[in-house]
Amino acid sequence: MSQSQIQNPKSKIELIRDLDTTSGYWAAVWTMCCLPDVHVICDAPIGCFNLVGTAVPDYTDAIPHIDNLTPSVMREQEVTMLGTAGAVRRAVAAVRARHPDRQVIVVSTAESEMISSDHTDWLGKLDTPAPFYWSRSLEEDEWAGRDRVLLWLWQHFGAPQAGSVSPQSQTVNIIGPTYGCFNAPADLHELKRLIAGAGGRVQLVYPFQARLTDTPRLSDAAVNIVMYREFGEGLAQALGRPYLFAPIGIRQTTDFVRELGRLLGTEAQAEAFIEQEKRDTLQPLWDLWRGPQGDWFPTTEFAVVAGRTYAEGLVKFLGDELGMRPVFVTGRPIQAGEMDNLAVRDFLHKRQPGFVFGSINEKIYLAEAGARATHFIPASFPGPIVRRALGTPFMGYAGAVYLVQEMVNRFYESVFNFLPLDAVKPTTPAGPPGAPVAPPAGRIAWTDAARAQLDAHLESIPWLSRISASRDLRAQVEGYALRNQIAEVTPEVVERALQRPAG
Amino acid sequence: MDTQPNHAPHQVSVSPDQALTPQTMCPAFGSLRVLTRIDGVQTAMVTDTGCLYGLTFVTHFYAARKSIAAPALGTQELMAGNVAEAARAACEEAARVPGTKLVAALSLCVAETAGLTEEMLPAQINGADVVLVRVPAYAIHSHPEAKDVAITALLKKFTTPARPTDAQGVEQPLTYDQPDAQAADLSRKVIMLGEVFPADPITVDAALKKMGAALAANLPSRSLDDYKMAGKVGAIAALHPFYTQSVATLRAAGVPIVSGAPIGAEGSYGWLKGIGNALKLDPDQVEAVAAEERDKCRAIIAANPLSGRIHVCGYEGNELGYARLLVEAGAQVPYISTSIEKSLYTAADEAWLKAHGTVEVVYRKTLEQDIAALDRYHPDLVLGTTPLSAAAKERGIPGLYYTNMLSVRPLFLSAGLAGTIGLIRDALSRAPRYEWMREFFAGERAPVIPAAAINTMD
Ligand code: SF4
Repeated sequence: MSQSQIQNPKSKIELIRDLDTTSGYWAAVWTMCCLPDVHVICDAPIGCFNLVGTAVPDYTDAIPHIDNLTPSVMREQEVTMLGTAGAVRRAVAAVRARHPDRQVIVVSTAESEMISSDHTDWLGKLDTPAPFYWSRSLEEDEWAGRDRVLLWLWQHFGAPQAGSVSPQSQTVNIIGPTYGCFNAPADLHELKRLIAGAGGRVQLVYPFQARLTDTPRLSDAAVNIVMYREFGEGLAQALGRPYLFAPIGIRQTTDFVRELGRLLGTEAQAEAFIEQEKRDTLQPLWDLWRGPQGDWFPTTEFAVVAGRTYAEGLVKFLGDELGMRPVFVTGRPIQAGEMDNLAVRDFLHKRQPGFVFGSINEKIYLAEAGARATHFIPASFPGPIVRRALGTPFMGYAGAVYLVQEMVNRFYESVFNFLPLDAVKPTTPAGPPGAPVAPPAGRIAWTDAARAQLDAHLESIPWLSRISASRDLRAQVEGYALRNQIAEVTPEVVERALQRPAG
Repeated sequence: MDTQPNHAPHQVSVSPDQALTPQTMCPAFGSLRVLTRIDGVQTAMVTDTGCLYGLTFVTHFYAARKSIAAPALGTQELMAGNVAEAARAACEEAARVPGTKLVAALSLCVAETAGLTEEMLPAQINGADVVLVRVPAYAIHSHPEAKDVAITALLKKFTTPARPTDAQGVEQPLTYDQPDAQAADLSRKVIMLGEVFPADPITVDAALKKMGAALAANLPSRSLDDYKMAGKVGAIAALHPFYTQSVATLRAAGVPIVSGAPIGAEGSYGWLKGIGNALKLDPDQVEAVAAEERDKCRAIIAANPLSGRIHVCGYEGNELGYARLLVEAGAQVPYISTSIEKSLYTAADEAWLKAHGTVEVVYRKTLEQDIAALDRYHPDLVLGTTPLSAAAKERGIPGLYYTNMLSVRPLFLSAGLAGTIGLIRDALSRAPRYEWMREFFAGERAPVIPAAAINTMD
């Protein structure tokens, strides 16, 4: 949760701007509903159902709606008088009649917790008992929530049935993703490729590509891969087998493949795979590194607001390996000392690095600041963005290449936008980076102070774009001076000419 | 008003126990959409984090690129009774944005359950008004109706009941004497109440000008001034049936209300005449303009009639008017459903539709009812919610998200009619693609149950 560190001294009220991390209830639905033989009944008003089941996953996971989720539909009468047991009972009966083959699980929401609707007792006494999951929605965030749900599923539907079998050699489980994990299909695809390359065989992708009835088989795999640092480690620890986190960047990925090979006893295959990848998947990275594009990295600044796995991975890869300059990085769930959204917003209003990896929130803050030379690259929810194609990973070798390719192409875009252009339509002054036509040189005089002022403005522009931007800004100032019949440019004229539209 | 006795057996095929999934966005979104889109209005949301996350998401997608302030509310704050303090702190944070004129404090489910009242908030912060908008979504049932809640909160703030009372507290009769020229000018203007496609107010204004009147504004609006003006214009055109509280507030302020919308030939004619009456315009001039619009509509329909069976199953609350247009243009619309409640304001459209072949009109509908209707009438085109449109496409039927339809074409008067018919004709003609996709992904089709015959002649 992103909360203000600047608290009101009189009280303990923490403030939030543009919340980026949702609650334990969402975690429960987005985790359990991946399993097609589960049907979740959420003890919810209609709105809490719609947001988590349709309105948001429609535009992120790009599924028309989650169809194994049904609300109890808590209304005013349930909240103020009746309680929700009757509504839940009706939903349980109806869902069981429609889907006799599904395991019904009842999940609490913030509002049901608010009125203390605990259904454990009576659900347990039904002819066919149904489990009740208290989602701790008023306390727990989505990451801790997912971690706890996965463990709960294992404890209720896995451990009791799992025999004390010894693991099948060379099998690997992937723990995570669930719904609502940014870019998961592409990362998962890459992860499977790496596991196969290292000599492993993927057994279960839990819960994303599994059924509830597969849960006991979680204990069969020799190694578990925990896809995210944000959640899933709890389950991996309970399973008691060696586990690795999914890698980002060349170095982490190489270590990952080697270590997996060691754990599976397939070292030689893993080494051969790494060698092969250098000449295949990774070759473009070596080429770009040696080419002129490689020169841009040391002068390029970037910032990241994203899930912990991505935040830490991007710093390691872009910062440590490629030598780009991180201006700030803050992960979610937020840790002590990291910037919350109030701080991120203030920062981006003052200064905009060349690349910002983030969610729609950072995109809004950049728009508020009128940032024109910053490239925003989606790297996190919230925000409507579809990432279902398999070719856009951040993880693994393919991810390293994809990230660099993406950034290089954005560079090309900047260059394109700053080159002179013979426009068919007259350009509007102070528009987006088009090409304001400079008046003939020498007709307008500049004071020294005005020149210094222009240079100060250039400081806030990413390095790569500065040369062309200097021409662009000069033209903008002189155009302004001409239109206003000003013969000499002073610092004040510079300011007026470059005034950005208010956010 | 049972004009279709012979269709009774088709109705109500989903038992109440199986009608599980009401169709609406989170109702609170309706209020947020209205409020966040107004310039100078900042919102503070008082609620739990799950709710805050979801509502912020949809607001940033569908309403405004505006940062949203909130207090962190967990069990501790809620149980310790710190809600009012938290709400105040969030309002102060919201008011820090330069140019804030009004802070809307949205009190959502858990805050409503904990109890938050107007008296607990300051009336103003740094000169910006603070308005509490109470949106217990569990008690509102649909997002269109929550738009009414937000607009009403603003209107109540800005309009005063018109009827002065005498010394005994008895209301004095309304007079239409206008004290000044500006008021006299406003008395010949209309405010439309209801979200519309951006081009619609322009065509409506043009028609009104020909009648000697004009459009003053359209609510919900980007400008607070339009809300302030609402109590002073000559008439309010309540375009959609769910603005019941706003209408009551404005009626209490003495503003004449015209209900219905200028949709289709008959609808446009009747609506323009209604406006003419309310504004006391020259009847001959009004008749000429209204008749001209009606004839233009008829000519468009004659040139491009619709044929086919269409289900109109949105959750925006204006489905009945849309369905009327389709029926007038020649389509069969056996089944219509909406998220709002049946009311006085839906009666006229429902009666008209049932007299023109519509078999079922379902209010407060559920997904299960809509899907059952698909398999009952086998429509050629479905305008539905996202889950319903998906269900239609799974059956190889062209399906469109009703809300999207509203946002891509004008609807009003002859100009809107032409655009909408074009869109629907195009959608109907794309059926083979939907069938190809269905077959590619889902394989051979199970045998089809023949569609129920629909008698449109009575
Ligand atoms: S808590 Fe209430 S307002 Fe918030 S999402 Fe749920 S139903 Fe909507």
